[in-house]
Amino acid sequence: MFRQGPPGSLRAVFLASTVLILAACAPLQSDRLLKSPQAFPPPVELTGTPFFPQEDFQCGPAALATALNWAGAKVTPEELVPQVYLPERHGSLQTELLAATRRHGRVPYVIEPRMETLLAEVEAGHPVLVLQNLGLSWFTRWHYAVVIGFDLARNEIILRSGRNERHVMSLQSFERTWQRGNHWAMLALPPNRLPASAEETPYLQAVTGLERAQHWQEAKIAYEAALSRWPDSVPARMGVGNSLYAMKDLPGAERAYRYITLSTPSFAPAFNNLAQVLAEQGQLKPAEQAARRAVSLGGPLEATYQETLQQVLDKLAAPAKR
Amino acid sequence: MEKLRRIAKPVSHFVIVAFLWLGVQLPAAQAGIVGTEAIVNSAQAEQDRQHVAALLERVDVQEQLKAYGVSPEQAKSRVDSLTDAEVHTLAGKIDRLPAGGDSALGILFAVFIVLLITDILGLTSIFPFVKHRR
Repeated sequence: MFRQGPPGSLRAVFLASTVLILAACAPLQSDRLLKSPQAFPPPVELTGTPFFPQEDFQCGPAALATALNWAGAKVTPEELVPQVYLPERHGSLQTELLAATRRHGRVPYVIEPRMETLLAEVEAGHPVLVLQNLGLSWFTRWHYAVVIGFDLARNEIILRSGRNERHVMSLQSFERTWQRGNHWAMLALPPNRLPASAEETPYLQAVTGLERAQHWQEAKIAYEAALSRWPDSVPARMGVGNSLYAMKDLPGAERAYRYITLSTPSFAPAFNNLAQVLAEQGQLKPAEQAARRAVSLGGPLEATYQETLQQVLDKLAAPAKR
Repeated sequence: MEKLRRIAKPVSHFVIVAFLWLGVQLPAAQAGIVGTEAIVNSAQAEQDRQHVAALLERVDVQEQLKAYGVSPEQAKSRVDSLTDAEVHTLAGKIDRLPAGGDSALGILFAVFIVLLITDILGLTSIFPFVKHRR
Protein backbone atom coordinates (compact mmCIF):
# COMPACT_ATOMS: atom_id res chain seq x y z
CA MET A 1 0.00 0.00 0.00
CA PHE A 2 1.16 3.52 -0.52
CA ARG A 3 0.65 5.93 2.30
CA GLN A 4 0.05 9.38 0.90
CA GLY A 5 -2.53 8.43 -1.74
CA PRO A 6 -6.20 9.35 -1.87
CA PRO A 7 -8.70 7.16 0.00
CA GLY A 8 -9.97 3.99 -1.64
CA SER A 9 -13.31 5.13 -3.00
CA LEU A 10 -11.77 8.21 -4.56
CA ARG A 11 -9.13 6.04 -6.12
CA ALA A 12 -11.81 3.75 -7.51
CA VAL A 13 -13.64 6.66 -9.08
CA PHE A 14 -10.39 7.96 -10.48
CA LEU A 15 -9.52 4.59 -11.96
CA ALA A 16 -12.98 4.09 -13.42
CA SER A 17 -12.96 7.51 -15.05
CA THR A 18 -9.44 6.96 -16.40
CA VAL A 19 -10.45 3.68 -17.99
CA LEU A 20 -13.70 5.11 -19.35
CA ILE A 21 -11.97 8.14 -20.82
CA LEU A 22 -9.27 5.99 -22.38
CA ALA A 23 -11.92 3.77 -23.94
CA ALA A 24 -14.11 6.64 -25.10
CA CYS A 25 -11.17 8.53 -26.55
CA ALA A 26 -10.18 5.62 -28.75
CA PRO A 27 -11.58 6.67 -32.13
CA LEU A 28 -12.27 4.15 -34.86
CA GLN A 29 -9.10 3.40 -36.78
CA SER A 30 -11.23 3.10 -39.93
CA ASP A 31 -12.33 6.72 -39.77
CA ARG A 32 -8.71 7.83 -39.71
CA LEU A 33 -7.84 5.45 -42.59
CA LEU A 34 -10.73 6.59 -44.77
CA LYS A 35 -9.72 10.24 -44.36
CA SER A 36 -6.69 9.90 -46.62
CA PRO A 37 -7.90 8.60 -49.99
CA GLN A 38 -4.55 9.49 -51.60
CA ALA A 39 -2.91 6.79 -49.44
CA PHE A 40 -5.44 4.05 -50.26
CA PRO A 41 -3.86 0.76 -51.24
CA PRO A 42 -5.40 -0.73 -54.41
CA PRO A 43 -8.47 -2.92 -53.83
CA VAL A 44 -7.70 -6.58 -53.12
CA GLU A 45 -9.81 -9.72 -53.14
CA LEU A 46 -8.20 -13.09 -52.57
CA THR A 47 -10.76 -14.93 -54.69
CA GLY A 48 -8.73 -18.15 -54.61
CA THR A 49 -9.43 -18.58 -50.88
CA PRO A 50 -11.58 -21.70 -50.44
CA PHE A 51 -14.95 -21.54 -48.72
CA PHE A 52 -16.49 -23.92 -46.21
CA PRO A 53 -20.05 -23.02 -45.22
CA GLN A 54 -20.54 -23.16 -41.48
CA GLU A 55 -22.67 -25.77 -39.68
CA ASP A 56 -24.69 -24.64 -36.64
CA PHE A 57 -22.37 -22.90 -34.19
CA GLN A 58 -19.20 -24.22 -35.75
CA CYS A 59 -17.69 -21.04 -37.17
CA GLY A 60 -14.29 -21.88 -35.64
CA PRO A 61 -13.72 -25.10 -37.62
CA ALA A 62 -15.15 -23.50 -40.78
CA ALA A 63 -12.95 -20.39 -40.57
CA LEU A 64 -9.86 -22.40 -39.68
CA ALA A 65 -10.46 -24.84 -42.54
CA THR A 66 -10.68 -21.85 -44.88
CA ALA A 67 -7.34 -20.48 -43.67
CA LEU A 68 -5.57 -23.87 -43.56
CA ASN A 69 -6.71 -24.95 -47.02
CA TRP A 70 -5.54 -21.65 -48.43
CA ALA A 71 -2.17 -22.49 -46.82
CA GLY A 72 -2.12 -25.85 -48.60
CA ALA A 73 -3.21 -28.12 -45.74
CA LYS A 74 -5.99 -30.39 -46.98
CA VAL A 75 -8.43 -30.56 -44.08
CA THR A 76 -12.21 -30.28 -43.76
CA PRO A 77 -14.15 -28.48 -41.02
CA GLU A 78 -15.51 -31.87 -39.92
CA GLU A 79 -11.97 -33.11 -39.29
CA LEU A 80 -11.21 -29.97 -37.28
CA VAL A 81 -14.30 -30.18 -35.07
CA PRO A 82 -12.80 -32.61 -32.55
CA GLN A 83 -9.60 -30.51 -32.45
CA VAL A 84 -11.05 -27.06 -31.89
CA TYR A 85 -14.77 -27.23 -31.08
CA LEU A 86 -16.07 -27.31 -27.50
CA PRO A 87 -19.68 -28.56 -27.68
CA GLU A 88 -20.64 -27.33 -24.22
CA ARG A 89 -19.50 -23.80 -25.08
CA HIS A 90 -20.84 -23.86 -28.64
CA GLY A 91 -17.53 -22.47 -29.81
CA SER A 92 -13.78 -22.61 -30.16
CA LEU A 93 -11.04 -20.99 -28.13
CA GLN A 94 -8.33 -18.93 -29.77
CA THR A 95 -5.52 -21.05 -28.29
CA GLU A 96 -7.03 -24.13 -29.85
CA LEU A 97 -7.06 -22.52 -33.28
CA LEU A 98 -3.35 -21.75 -32.81
CA ALA A 99 -2.58 -25.29 -31.65
CA ALA A 100 -4.57 -26.92 -34.48
CA THR A 101 -2.72 -24.76 -37.02
CA ARG A 102 0.62 -26.06 -35.69
CA ARG A 103 -0.67 -29.61 -35.74
CA HIS A 104 -1.19 -29.19 -39.48
CA GLY A 105 2.37 -27.94 -39.93
CA ARG A 106 1.43 -24.32 -40.56
CA VAL A 107 2.71 -21.28 -38.66
CA PRO A 108 0.03 -19.48 -36.62
CA TYR A 109 0.84 -15.80 -36.20
CA VAL A 110 -1.28 -13.41 -34.14
CA ILE A 111 -1.05 -9.99 -35.78
CA GLU A 112 -0.96 -6.57 -34.16
CA PRO A 113 -4.42 -5.24 -33.24
CA ARG A 114 -4.44 -2.54 -35.93
CA MET A 115 -6.59 -2.12 -39.04
CA GLU A 116 -3.53 -1.08 -41.07
CA THR A 117 -1.75 -4.32 -40.17
CA LEU A 118 -4.80 -6.41 -41.04
CA LEU A 119 -5.17 -4.72 -44.44
CA ALA A 120 -1.43 -4.98 -45.11
CA GLU A 121 -1.58 -8.74 -44.60
CA VAL A 122 -4.53 -9.08 -46.99
CA GLU A 123 -2.65 -6.92 -49.49
CA ALA A 124 0.32 -9.30 -49.13
CA GLY A 125 -2.03 -12.11 -50.17
CA HIS A 126 -2.70 -13.57 -46.71
CA PRO A 127 -6.29 -14.27 -45.62
CA VAL A 128 -6.73 -13.13 -42.00
CA LEU A 129 -8.80 -15.14 -39.51
CA VAL A 130 -10.56 -12.71 -37.16
CA LEU A 131 -12.54 -13.01 -33.95
CA GLN A 132 -15.65 -10.84 -33.94
CA ASN A 133 -18.28 -10.14 -31.35
CA LEU A 134 -21.44 -9.65 -33.39
CA GLY A 135 -23.40 -8.83 -30.22
CA LEU A 136 -22.56 -6.25 -27.57
CA SER A 137 -19.98 -6.19 -24.83
CA TRP A 138 -22.63 -7.36 -22.31
CA PHE A 139 -24.51 -9.63 -24.72
CA THR A 140 -21.83 -11.47 -26.61
CA ARG A 141 -22.12 -13.39 -29.85
CA TRP A 142 -18.67 -14.59 -30.75
CA HIS A 143 -17.89 -15.37 -34.36
CA TYR A 144 -14.84 -16.36 -36.38
CA ALA A 145 -14.54 -15.27 -40.00
CA VAL A 146 -11.81 -14.79 -42.59
CA VAL A 147 -11.02 -11.42 -44.17
CA ILE A 148 -10.17 -11.96 -47.84
CA GLY A 149 -10.37 -8.49 -49.37
CA PHE A 150 -11.12 -4.80 -49.14
CA ASP A 151 -11.86 -1.76 -51.25
CA LEU A 152 -11.28 1.42 -49.28
CA ALA A 153 -12.65 3.74 -51.98
CA ARG A 154 -16.00 1.96 -51.63
CA ASN A 155 -15.57 1.52 -47.86
CA GLU A 156 -15.86 -2.26 -48.11
CA ILE A 157 -14.24 -5.18 -46.37
CA ILE A 158 -14.91 -8.68 -47.72
CA LEU A 159 -15.10 -11.84 -45.60
CA ARG A 160 -15.77 -15.53 -45.83
CA SER A 161 -18.23 -15.66 -42.97
CA GLY A 162 -20.69 -18.33 -41.78
CA ARG A 163 -22.83 -19.50 -44.67
CA ASN A 164 -21.92 -16.41 -46.65
CA GLU A 165 -19.17 -16.91 -49.21
CA ARG A 166 -18.78 -13.19 -49.88
CA HIS A 167 -19.88 -11.15 -46.91
CA VAL A 168 -19.36 -7.41 -47.46
CA MET A 169 -19.26 -4.96 -44.53
CA SER A 170 -18.34 -1.31 -44.15
CA LEU A 171 -14.97 -0.81 -42.49
CA GLN A 172 -16.58 0.84 -39.49
CA SER A 173 -19.12 -1.92 -38.79
CA PHE A 174 -16.41 -4.51 -39.21
CA GLU A 175 -14.05 -2.65 -36.91
CA ARG A 176 -16.65 -2.34 -34.15
CA THR A 177 -17.30 -6.10 -34.16
CA TRP A 178 -13.56 -6.75 -34.28
CA GLN A 179 -12.89 -4.25 -31.50
CA ARG A 180 -15.39 -6.11 -29.30
CA GLY A 181 -13.38 -9.25 -30.08
CA ASN A 182 -10.33 -7.47 -28.63
CA HIS A 183 -8.91 -6.98 -32.13
CA TRP A 184 -7.80 -10.61 -32.20
CA ALA A 185 -6.63 -11.86 -35.59
CA MET A 186 -4.31 -14.58 -36.78
CA LEU A 187 -2.67 -15.85 -39.93
CA ALA A 188 -2.09 -19.50 -40.77
CA LEU A 189 0.87 -19.49 -43.13
CA PRO A 190 2.89 -22.12 -44.96
CA PRO A 191 6.33 -22.22 -43.29
CA ASN A 192 8.11 -20.69 -46.27
CA ARG A 193 5.98 -17.51 -46.12
CA LEU A 194 6.55 -14.74 -43.59
CA PRO A 195 3.77 -12.45 -42.41
CA ALA A 196 4.15 -9.00 -44.00
CA SER A 197 4.02 -7.53 -40.49
CA ALA A 198 6.20 -10.19 -38.82
CA GLU A 199 8.38 -9.13 -35.91
CA GLU A 200 11.39 -11.26 -35.19
CA THR A 201 10.81 -12.57 -31.68
CA PRO A 202 7.03 -13.11 -31.86
CA TYR A 203 7.46 -14.88 -35.20
CA LEU A 204 10.16 -17.16 -33.84
CA GLN A 205 7.98 -17.90 -30.83
CA ALA A 206 5.24 -18.97 -33.22
CA VAL A 207 7.72 -21.29 -34.95
CA THR A 208 8.98 -22.92 -31.73
CA GLY A 209 5.41 -24.21 -31.41
CA LEU A 210 6.03 -26.23 -34.60
CA GLU A 211 9.04 -27.83 -32.91
CA ARG A 212 6.84 -28.70 -29.97
CA ALA A 213 4.40 -30.37 -32.38
CA GLN A 214 7.45 -32.24 -33.79
CA HIS A 215 7.05 -30.73 -37.25
CA TRP A 216 10.83 -30.43 -37.62
CA GLN A 217 10.97 -30.10 -41.39
CA GLU A 218 8.40 -27.27 -41.37
CA ALA A 219 10.15 -25.63 -38.41
CA LYS A 220 13.46 -25.69 -40.28
CA ILE A 221 11.89 -24.08 -43.37
CA ALA A 222 10.26 -21.40 -41.22
CA TYR A 223 13.53 -20.60 -39.40
CA GLU A 224 15.27 -20.33 -42.78
CA ALA A 225 12.52 -17.98 -43.97
CA ALA A 226 13.13 -15.89 -40.84
CA LEU A 227 16.86 -15.82 -41.62
CA SER A 228 16.12 -14.49 -45.10
CA ARG A 229 14.48 -11.45 -43.48
CA TRP A 230 16.72 -11.17 -40.38
CA PRO A 231 20.06 -12.63 -41.54
CA ASP A 232 21.75 -11.85 -38.20
CA SER A 233 19.10 -13.51 -36.03
CA VAL A 234 20.92 -15.81 -33.62
CA PRO A 235 17.71 -17.50 -32.31
CA ALA A 236 16.56 -18.25 -35.89
CA ARG A 237 19.91 -19.85 -36.78
CA MET A 238 19.86 -21.85 -33.52
CA GLY A 239 16.40 -22.99 -34.61
CA VAL A 240 17.76 -24.21 -37.95
CA GLY A 241 20.51 -26.11 -36.10
CA ASN A 242 18.13 -27.61 -33.56
CA SER A 243 15.62 -28.72 -36.23
CA LEU A 244 18.42 -30.37 -38.22
CA TYR A 245 19.70 -32.02 -35.04
CA ALA A 246 16.22 -33.38 -34.32
CA MET A 247 16.12 -34.77 -37.87
CA LYS A 248 19.52 -36.45 -37.22
CA ASP A 249 21.35 -34.26 -39.73
CA LEU A 250 24.37 -33.81 -37.45
CA PRO A 251 26.76 -32.23 -39.99
CA GLY A 252 24.03 -29.72 -40.94
CA ALA A 253 23.38 -28.87 -37.30
CA GLU A 254 27.11 -28.56 -36.70
CA ARG A 255 27.40 -26.01 -39.53
CA ALA A 256 24.60 -23.86 -38.09
CA TYR A 257 26.04 -23.88 -34.56
CA ARG A 258 29.57 -23.25 -35.77
CA TYR A 259 28.40 -20.25 -37.79
CA ILE A 260 27.04 -18.67 -34.61
CA THR A 261 30.15 -19.44 -32.54
CA LEU A 262 32.10 -17.44 -35.14
CA SER A 263 29.61 -14.59 -35.69
CA THR A 264 28.52 -14.22 -32.04
CA PRO A 265 31.34 -15.66 -29.93
CA SER A 266 29.66 -14.55 -26.68
CA PHE A 267 26.61 -16.77 -27.21
CA ALA A 268 27.13 -19.77 -24.94
CA PRO A 269 24.22 -22.02 -26.08
CA ALA A 270 25.79 -22.30 -29.55
CA PHE A 271 29.04 -23.65 -28.04
CA ASN A 272 27.09 -26.07 -25.87
CA ASN A 273 25.05 -27.45 -28.77
CA LEU A 274 28.13 -27.58 -30.98
CA ALA A 275 29.90 -29.64 -28.30
CA GLN A 276 26.97 -32.04 -28.24
CA VAL A 277 26.87 -32.66 -32.02
CA LEU A 278 30.65 -32.97 -32.20
CA ALA A 279 30.63 -35.53 -29.38
CA GLU A 280 27.88 -37.51 -31.09
CA GLN A 281 30.01 -37.61 -34.23
CA GLY A 282 32.95 -38.94 -32.21
CA GLN A 283 35.01 -35.72 -32.36
CA LEU A 284 35.61 -35.67 -28.63
CA LYS A 285 38.60 -33.29 -28.43
CA PRO A 286 36.95 -30.44 -30.34
CA ALA A 287 33.75 -31.21 -28.40
CA GLU A 288 35.59 -30.75 -25.11
CA GLN A 289 37.00 -27.45 -26.31
CA ALA A 290 33.54 -26.15 -27.26
CA ALA A 291 31.98 -27.35 -24.02
CA ARG A 292 34.70 -25.63 -21.96
CA ARG A 293 34.03 -22.42 -23.89
CA ALA A 294 30.29 -22.64 -23.04
CA VAL A 295 31.07 -23.21 -19.35
CA SER A 296 33.48 -20.29 -19.19
CA LEU A 297 30.91 -17.99 -20.84
CA GLY A 298 28.41 -19.11 -18.19
CA GLY A 299 24.95 -17.58 -17.87
CA PRO A 300 21.62 -18.84 -16.59
CA LEU A 301 22.05 -22.23 -18.30
CA GLU A 302 25.50 -22.92 -16.90
CA ALA A 303 24.34 -26.14 -15.22
CA THR A 304 23.42 -27.55 -18.65
CA TYR A 305 26.85 -26.62 -20.03
CA GLN A 306 28.55 -28.31 -17.07
CA GLU A 307 26.53 -31.44 -17.76
CA THR A 308 27.48 -31.42 -21.45
CA LEU A 309 31.15 -31.00 -20.55
CA GLN A 310 30.95 -33.85 -18.04
CA GLN A 311 29.42 -36.16 -20.65
CA VAL A 312 32.20 -35.34 -23.10
CA LEU A 313 34.85 -35.92 -20.43
CA ASP A 314 33.27 -39.26 -19.50
CA LYS A 315 33.41 -40.36 -23.12
CA LEU A 316 37.02 -39.24 -23.39
CA ALA A 317 37.92 -41.22 -20.28
CA ALA A 318 36.28 -44.43 -21.53
CA PRO A 319 36.85 -44.55 -25.30
CA ALA A 320 37.05 -48.35 -25.35
CA LYS A 321 33.38 -48.75 -24.50
CA ARG A 322 32.23 -46.83 -27.56
CA MET B 1 -15.51 -1.96 -9.00
CA GLU B 2 -17.10 -4.51 -6.66
CA LYS B 3 -18.04 -6.61 -9.64
CA LEU B 4 -14.46 -6.47 -10.90
CA ARG B 5 -13.24 -7.58 -7.49
CA ARG B 6 -15.61 -10.51 -7.49
CA ILE B 7 -14.40 -11.86 -10.81
CA ALA B 8 -10.75 -11.19 -9.98
CA LYS B 9 -10.37 -14.33 -7.90
CA PRO B 10 -11.68 -16.93 -10.38
CA VAL B 11 -9.71 -15.20 -13.14
CA SER B 12 -6.48 -15.29 -11.17
CA HIS B 13 -7.06 -18.94 -10.34
CA PHE B 14 -7.55 -19.68 -13.98
CA VAL B 15 -4.30 -17.89 -14.86
CA ILE B 16 -2.38 -19.82 -12.22
CA VAL B 17 -3.73 -23.16 -13.46
CA ALA B 18 -2.97 -22.16 -17.04
CA PHE B 19 0.63 -21.36 -16.14
CA LEU B 20 1.08 -24.61 -14.24
CA TRP B 21 -0.34 -26.45 -17.21
CA LEU B 22 2.13 -24.69 -19.50
CA GLY B 23 4.93 -25.82 -17.21
CA VAL B 24 3.81 -29.42 -17.52
CA GLN B 25 3.59 -29.10 -21.30
CA LEU B 26 7.24 -28.07 -21.72
CA PRO B 27 8.95 -30.95 -23.46
CA ALA B 28 11.80 -32.64 -21.64
CA ALA B 29 15.05 -31.14 -22.88
CA GLN B 30 17.04 -33.35 -25.20
CA ALA B 31 20.27 -34.35 -23.52
CA GLY B 32 22.93 -31.72 -23.99
CA ILE B 33 21.00 -29.50 -26.41
CA VAL B 34 19.70 -26.05 -25.49
CA GLY B 35 16.26 -25.86 -27.12
CA THR B 36 15.11 -23.05 -29.40
CA GLU B 37 12.17 -22.29 -27.15
CA ALA B 38 14.44 -21.42 -24.22
CA ILE B 39 16.59 -19.23 -26.47
CA VAL B 40 13.67 -17.34 -28.01
CA ASN B 41 11.97 -16.90 -24.65
CA SER B 42 15.07 -15.39 -23.11
CA ALA B 43 15.33 -13.02 -26.09
CA GLN B 44 11.70 -12.06 -25.43
CA ALA B 45 12.41 -11.53 -21.73
CA GLU B 46 15.32 -9.25 -22.57
CA GLN B 47 13.09 -7.14 -24.86
CA ASP B 48 10.31 -6.94 -22.27
CA ARG B 49 12.73 -5.67 -19.64
CA GLN B 50 14.08 -3.04 -22.01
CA HIS B 51 10.53 -2.01 -22.87
CA VAL B 52 9.52 -1.50 -19.25
CA ALA B 53 12.83 0.17 -18.39
CA ALA B 54 12.33 2.64 -21.26
CA LEU B 55 8.91 3.55 -19.86
CA LEU B 56 10.38 4.21 -16.44
CA GLU B 57 12.84 6.59 -18.12
CA ARG B 58 10.00 8.78 -19.41
CA VAL B 59 9.91 12.18 -17.70
CA ASP B 60 6.12 12.23 -17.30
CA VAL B 61 6.15 8.75 -15.80
CA GLN B 62 8.93 9.69 -13.38
CA GLU B 63 7.04 12.81 -12.30
CA GLN B 64 3.92 10.78 -11.60
CA LEU B 65 5.95 8.22 -9.67
CA LYS B 66 7.39 11.00 -7.49
CA ALA B 67 3.91 12.41 -6.98
CA TYR B 68 2.96 9.05 -5.48
CA GLY B 69 6.02 9.07 -3.23
CA VAL B 70 7.92 6.41 -5.20
CA SER B 71 11.43 7.18 -6.35
CA PRO B 72 12.21 6.06 -9.90
CA GLU B 73 15.20 4.08 -8.58
CA GLN B 74 12.95 2.22 -6.18
CA ALA B 75 10.54 1.40 -9.03
CA LYS B 76 13.43 0.29 -11.23
CA SER B 77 14.90 -2.05 -8.64
CA ARG B 78 11.47 -3.57 -8.04
CA VAL B 79 11.01 -4.22 -11.75
CA ASP B 80 14.46 -5.85 -11.81
CA SER B 81 13.33 -8.27 -9.14
CA LEU B 82 10.23 -9.39 -11.09
CA THR B 83 10.35 -12.75 -12.86
CA ASP B 84 10.40 -12.94 -16.66
CA ALA B 85 6.76 -13.99 -16.71
CA GLU B 86 5.72 -11.03 -14.57
CA VAL B 87 7.62 -8.56 -16.71
CA HIS B 88 6.04 -10.10 -19.79
CA THR B 89 2.55 -9.60 -18.34
CA LEU B 90 3.40 -6.01 -17.52
CA ALA B 91 4.83 -5.27 -20.97
CA GLY B 92 1.83 -6.96 -22.59
CA LYS B 93 -0.65 -4.86 -20.62
CA ILE B 94 1.19 -1.69 -21.56
CA ASP B 95 1.13 -2.63 -25.24
CA ARG B 96 -2.64 -3.02 -25.09
CA LEU B 97 -3.15 0.58 -23.98
CA PRO B 98 -3.81 3.26 -26.57
CA ALA B 99 -0.53 5.00 -27.30
CA GLY B 100 -0.25 8.49 -25.84
CA GLY B 101 1.56 11.47 -27.30
CA ASP B 102 1.87 14.68 -25.30
CA SER B 103 -1.87 15.36 -25.35
CA ALA B 104 -4.29 15.10 -22.43
CA LEU B 105 -4.51 11.43 -23.33
CA GLY B 106 -0.75 11.22 -22.89
CA ILE B 107 -0.98 12.41 -19.30
CA LEU B 108 -3.68 9.89 -18.51
CA PHE B 109 -1.55 7.26 -20.16
CA ALA B 110 1.38 8.15 -17.89
CA VAL B 111 -0.83 8.03 -14.79
CA PHE B 112 -2.28 4.74 -15.88
CA ILE B 113 1.16 3.22 -16.46
CA VAL B 114 2.43 4.47 -13.12
CA LEU B 115 -0.53 3.02 -11.25
CA LEU B 116 -0.18 -0.24 -13.11
CA ILE B 117 3.52 -0.45 -12.31
CA THR B 118 3.16 0.56 -8.66
CA ASP B 119 0.33 -1.94 -8.35
CA ILE B 120 2.43 -4.78 -9.68
CA LEU B 121 5.24 -3.74 -7.39
CA GLY B 122 2.84 -3.94 -4.45
CA LEU B 123 3.11 -0.24 -3.64
CA THR B 124 -0.52 0.44 -4.53
CA SER B 125 -3.57 -1.75 -4.86
CA ILE B 126 -5.90 -0.27 -7.42
CA PHE B 127 -6.30 -2.88 -10.10
CA PRO B 128 -8.06 -5.99 -8.87
CA PHE B 129 -6.55 -8.04 -11.71
CA VAL B 130 -3.05 -7.52 -10.36
CA LYS B 131 -2.03 -10.40 -8.17
CA HIS B 132 -0.11 -9.29 -5.13
CA ARG B 133 2.87 -11.11 -3.84
CA ARG B 134 2.43 -10.14 -0.24
